[in-house]
Amino acid sequence: MSARVLVAMSGGVDSSVAAALLHERGYDVVGVAMRLASEPAGRVAARRATCCSHEDFEDARRVAERLGFPFYVVDLRADFARRVIGNFVAEYVAGRTPNPCVRCNLEIKFDRLWQRARALGAEFVATGHYAQIVRGDDGHCGLARALDTAKDQSYFLFTLGQAELGRTLFPLGAMTKGEVRDYARRLGLRNADKAESQEICFVPDGDYARFVESAVAPSTPRPGRVVDDAGRVLGVHRGVHHFTVGQRRGLGIAAGAPLYVRELRAASAEVVVAPRAALASHGLIATDVRLISPAAAAGAPIPIEAKIRYRHPALPATLTMVAPDRAEVRFINAGPAVSPGQACVFYRRDQVLGGGFIERAL
Amino acid sequence: MRIYLDHNAAAPLKPAVREACAELAEFAGNPASIHHSGQRARRLLEQARERIAALIEADPRRVIFTSGGTESNNLAIFGTAIGASARRRIVSSTVEHSSIIEPLAALQERGFEIVRLPVDSDGHIDTEAARAALDSATALVTLGLANSESGTIQNLAPLAAAIRSCGALFHIDAAQALGRIPVSVAALGCDLITLSGHKLGAPAGIGGLYVRDPARLAPLILGGPQEYGVRAGTPNLSGAVGFGVAADTIRNSLDVESARSAALAERLLAHLLDAVPGLTLNGPRGGRLPNTLNLTFPAVAGESLLLALDLEGVEVSMGSACAAGSVEPSHVLLAMGRDEAAARSSLRISLGWSTTVAEIDQAAEIIPRVWRRVSAAEPLRPSFAEGASR
Repeated sequence: MSARVLVAMSGGVDSSVAAALLHERGYDVVGVAMRLASEPAGRVAARRATCCSHEDFEDARRVAERLGFPFYVVDLRADFARRVIGNFVAEYVAGRTPNPCVRCNLEIKFDRLWQRARALGAEFVATGHYAQIVRGDDGHCGLARALDTAKDQSYFLFTLGQAELGRTLFPLGAMTKGEVRDYARRLGLRNADKAESQEICFVPDGDYARFVESAVAPSTPRPGRVVDDAGRVLGVHRGVHHFTVGQRRGLGIAAGAPLYVRELRAASAEVVVAPRAALASHGLIATDVRLISPAAAAGAPIPIEAKIRYRHPALPATLTMVAPDRAEVRFINAGPAVSPGQACVFYRRDQVLGGGFIERAL
Repeated sequence: MRIYLDHNAAAPLKPAVREACAELAEFAGNPASIHHSGQRARRLLEQARERIAALIEADPRRVIFTSGGTESNNLAIFGTAIGASARRRIVSSTVEHSSIIEPLAALQERGFEIVRLPVDSDGHIDTEAARAALDSATALVTLGLANSESGTIQNLAPLAAAIRSCGALFHIDAAQALGRIPVSVAALGCDLITLSGHKLGAPAGIGGLYVRDPARLAPLILGGPQEYGVRAGTPNLSGAVGFGVAADTIRNSLDVESARSAALAERLLAHLLDAVPGLTLNGPRGGRLPNTLNLTFPAVAGESLLLALDLEGVEVSMGSACAAGSVEPSHVLLAMGRDEAAARSSLRISLGWSTTVAEIDQAAEIIPRVWRRVSAAEPLRPSFAEGASR
């Protein structure tokens, strides 16, 4: 009996190839598509495609049928709504900028899906993430960047603990996107050239503010004032959930020099703006920190590179654990604006040491 | 090896049906054609009609072929609504099949008043409430004879007289009952009966509608004069022949087959009640389809149990599949007063002509074993049922 692996399949090329590779390697593959959000009501033909659309699931199903392994759609909407969408909305209302993909990996893919895998008798969960798991001789598992650094998704995976890493497979970690597409074409997968999904899956139009408003009571988003550092009122706004730290556009104020969002104060419904130079930060405090490498647990500062946003190069910094789940990160050179709510992931070269969620800038 | 316990969704073709359909695969002939082949096709079609009519003790000229139970239900409901002129009220229940629920919802949008009778915890409608819902504006009463999910059998015959006297038509959806319990036009006293082929070993894509008075039913598919003008289109001859053979077979063995089915279901139920502490049966203990077991498994996500059983070769069902292929909790169980968590941890096991003692004994061993694994790995938390859609 070969080991059974539950492969999370979205219908995209990456997870399709991940499943195909494992199938080729002799694993007992069970493909699952996660139904995370309800399809918009109405007739099938009139629905707009989202990640949880019927068409995407059918693409995944076709791959499974072609290669001959079982495939199911599993309904995780209740958990996704509460643990991911609920968190996303609450964070925006609180003036922070959440990263729902990190949250989804933490709460759904490597938690709920894990339970489901055990229920189905699977020893492993696999996804099409670009990241590598390094299994040490001592049984300790590390997480490392993907070989294809342009595609590297290790940033989204820092929450995985030893139990998860030990039983997770990332078959694409040592492949380039080009190789993955070539493999898909060789296999004749219909989705080999399918476009990449970029936006947050449950907000396909990218209008986060409108999504937040649709999810909360009409009285929740509070209008407020746009102020500068000195407290001068420069304008008004329709709620802090419209903004993210570092944002320039959409402030609705005319000023001599370009102004950027420096801080969001949900309690007083204030958006603080400042010239670009004033946004520079020297570091940050991260909470809910999880460490993959024991090397990072020391109380003394250690040199790291800190990634404060997915699409942002890692910055040289020092890491000090100030409590078991709380870290102080100091940038070597002054860094860009830091958005509370985003993940900060600690790297040393290609290794992921751990990460946490940004509480505030220093 | 696969153990197929989902006969309420579709039954495997019976060998005699397969033979009859295969014979027809090489035959070309339209029952409406004048020539020899056309005449042969016509004979075959009418023979099939007679066989199906015999099963429900009806006049063969009152049985028309359709593409299946869904079309029959649509025809009964829309056909009556269109033909009913001023009457704008339709009485139904909360536990019907989607091919009744959706046509009624569409009529409601067009101004019809729809009365949906509630059911008790066993899934029975209250006959008194049904009688009380009737008035001079009632065009139609449409109710299922046996529920596909709970297996509950309704006692509908006593309603017929009251429905007739108020001038409404009485439609009974017997798609799930046919071939499992006696379905007789005379005993039911109704005006329309939906029949389906693939639940009793005929191919999918063939069904029927018993129509007492074709003049009161407006056709929905217009064209040629086929099927007494009630349903245009060249009939599905091989499907009809298969349906006829299946009907003929079951007519001669209904008692034996339903007793056999009941004994197997009881055997499985007894074993499961023993091996799965806290297991409950949904639907009445008696007065249920002999082949159907709807079971709530304690502390487990039914979806997981369903998939895990499939991976072990046992094929059962849960609720109804959505377009995307995941499962929704059964509206029937919710209507019977089960909460969403219970509905989400319930499975339907339905036996049929192909089910053997050996399969039942194997299923009786596999199901508790898989349930133990699934409930340990993925316990159903009370919060699981909250906010399924944002």
